[in-house]
Amino acid sequence: MVETIKIGPYHPALLEPQVFNVTVKDGKITNVDMELGYAHRSIEKLMTTKTYNQNVFLAERVCGICSAAHSTVYCETAEKLFDVQAPDRARYIRTIFFELERLESHYLILALLSHSLHEEEYFGKILSERELLMDLFELTTGNRVHYAFNKIGGVRVDLTPKTVQKMKNVTTELRKLSTHILQAFGDKGAFTTKIKGKGILTKEKALALGAVGPTLRGSGVKSDTRKDDPYAAYGDLNFEVHVGSDGDIYDRHFVRAKETIESILIIEQALDNLPEGPIQEEVGAPLETQALGRVEAPRGELIYFAKSDGTDVPERVKIRTPSFANNYSYSEMFLNQELSDFQLVLESTDPCFSCTDRLIIVDQETGKKKLVSFSALERRG
Amino acid sequence: MKVSKKQIGVYRADASSCNGCDIEILAALVPRFRLHELGVKVVTQPEEAGILLVTGGGNIKIDNDLKKVYERIQPPRIVVAIGSCAISWEAFSEGYSIAGPADETIPVNAYVCGCPPRPQAIVAALASLLGKEIEEKEDFWHAPPDFRGKPDLDPEKCTACGACEQACPTRAIEISEKNGKRSVKYLFGKCSYCRTCETVCPDDAVKLTQEYLLVFKDRKEATFSADIELLRCPGCTSYSLSPRQIKRALKTIEENVKGYAQFLEQIKKAMGLCLDCRRKIQNVKEAKHLLFQLRAKALEKSH
Repeated sequence: MVETIKIGPYHPALLEPQVFNVTVKDGKITNVDMELGYAHRSIEKLMTTKTYNQNVFLAERVCGICSAAHSTVYCETAEKLFDVQAPDRARYIRTIFFELERLESHYLILALLSHSLHEEEYFGKILSERELLMDLFELTTGNRVHYAFNKIGGVRVDLTPKTVQKMKNVTTELRKLSTHILQAFGDKGAFTTKIKGKGILTKEKALALGAVGPTLRGSGVKSDTRKDDPYAAYGDLNFEVHVGSDGDIYDRHFVRAKETIESILIIEQALDNLPEGPIQEEVGAPLETQALGRVEAPRGELIYFAKSDGTDVPERVKIRTPSFANNYSYSEMFLNQELSDFQLVLESTDPCFSCTDRLIIVDQETGKKKLVSFSALERRG
Repeated sequence: MKVSKKQIGVYRADASSCNGCDIEILAALVPRFRLHELGVKVVTQPEEAGILLVTGGGNIKIDNDLKKVYERIQPPRIVVAIGSCAISWEAFSEGYSIAGPADETIPVNAYVCGCPPRPQAIVAALASLLGKEIEEKEDFWHAPPDFRGKPDLDPEKCTACGACEQACPTRAIEISEKNGKRSVKYLFGKCSYCRTCETVCPDDAVKLTQEYLLVFKDRKEATFSADIELLRCPGCTSYSLSPRQIKRALKTIEENVKGYAQFLEQIKKAMGLCLDCRRKIQNVKEAKHLLFQLRAKALEKSH
């Protein structure tokens, strides 16, 4: 029996509003059609109405979990337009907050994974320990979610010896947590049996569908913007890129769990080698040029393109978010999965729909606005 | 620990938010925030809930679904708008795809300002709605010293120069003139709490305080305004600048161009003029000469 089930926009399996039209045959998923646009906020257009400095805060608000990633890549792209370089200390501070955010984001998805697997003990423990990070953000930047620490030409927030020591204490605590989580991924771990072998994305398919970040690394491809095209202070620091082997849900989450340990190592190195000096550089007027910046956000490669016409307002800003790239791999992952595993497969790419929604069509004759799904776009070519 | 017998369901509806507020609602589940003590339970179906937490103001696509979710909530349907976006759409208010904010789509009972509000504020807001109290003894209930909370304007220092209005990324500061007074208005429901106003203020008049509990029953109450008196222009008697702004500008000139003290009186006269009158200055030659000399001095200094 073939039937199509509409999941969303508000559904217990979904954390953000979106619609999935799932075709099911004999209890197995045969097709998934995504309908997005429920979180479209016209950010790219708004960016061309505000000044470069105001856009830093708009970029942060593309996504609440990638606040540091978006503002860092925006500032680095804008710095190319302004032809300035952030001072060394600013580059290190950016790296530290970037990795703290990766920790926070990975812990959150691992907590949600344990919630989906009904491992409430892990859920409670990870969320509670994650508060250490949130308190740290609040102490150093003044807010738990939107840090507002970046500016074009450097950073706005400096680290004092006291906060550095505090960060070191927190990372020591978090290393224990990460080790504890990794145990759940062991041979007889709490997570392993439930997610091993499900939602497979092969290496070839992952590359063909353009997956990025832990989704791509889970399928065994060693790709990480931090290594391939170092930004901030990543060029000076030693760290490893972890990859999975089978490309199943287990591998994608296991890569994330191992990355938390790697992030802690990066933060400790950056704190130990934190250079002295200024944290901001003077900026003048932008050159009449265009620039591209890319970073490895917690969900994968995040790309910003900006074009300047010499005024203090950008002419065009284009954002390519990692979730947008990863959405295509759903067509492969969902195939032949049980409908009951829908949520697990969906969460395995750590999707973020608030940053992915990007198209709205205005009918000029009627003035009526509508948002268009990806499938409708594909049909139109 | 007291747990009330009757539990109230709380349903979270994400109406095109950036996830920031949603994460904080999730974080509020951590035991240390004591949400469970309020007899509140987070549910996954609107039918089980009596309280609706809305994050984000809703775009044109989600608007109808938000209404449907509201109708599925159990009466009397308490709705809380969480975060600046749900209250006024904050930085996105001028976007083409947005509808709302939330209170234009569904009735809202309380507004929690913040970008995003701390979990502490969300819990405290729920507590006050339910007529309960929670102990706030531990350290984490207090915001750290550098917390970016409620902006506070010192009317004794503010010169109403408008630098903050120009720089604000969300247009949360409105400056208007009425009856010889310039009023500076801060909209807490539109503020992104980014500290830009504090950074650009030349008079240190704005400070972001540690106050984080900004819960209002009415959106219009979530403001703060200060009136600054203006001077009359000696040319046309219309109101132009505030006396403090003139004083500050004169001080800057005095400090930077000490060699030209003889011009200070002339500058002082010219300062009080409104923009229209300055354009009509009779002795153009004199003004030009003054400008030229000031510029030459500045150039000399920079070399």
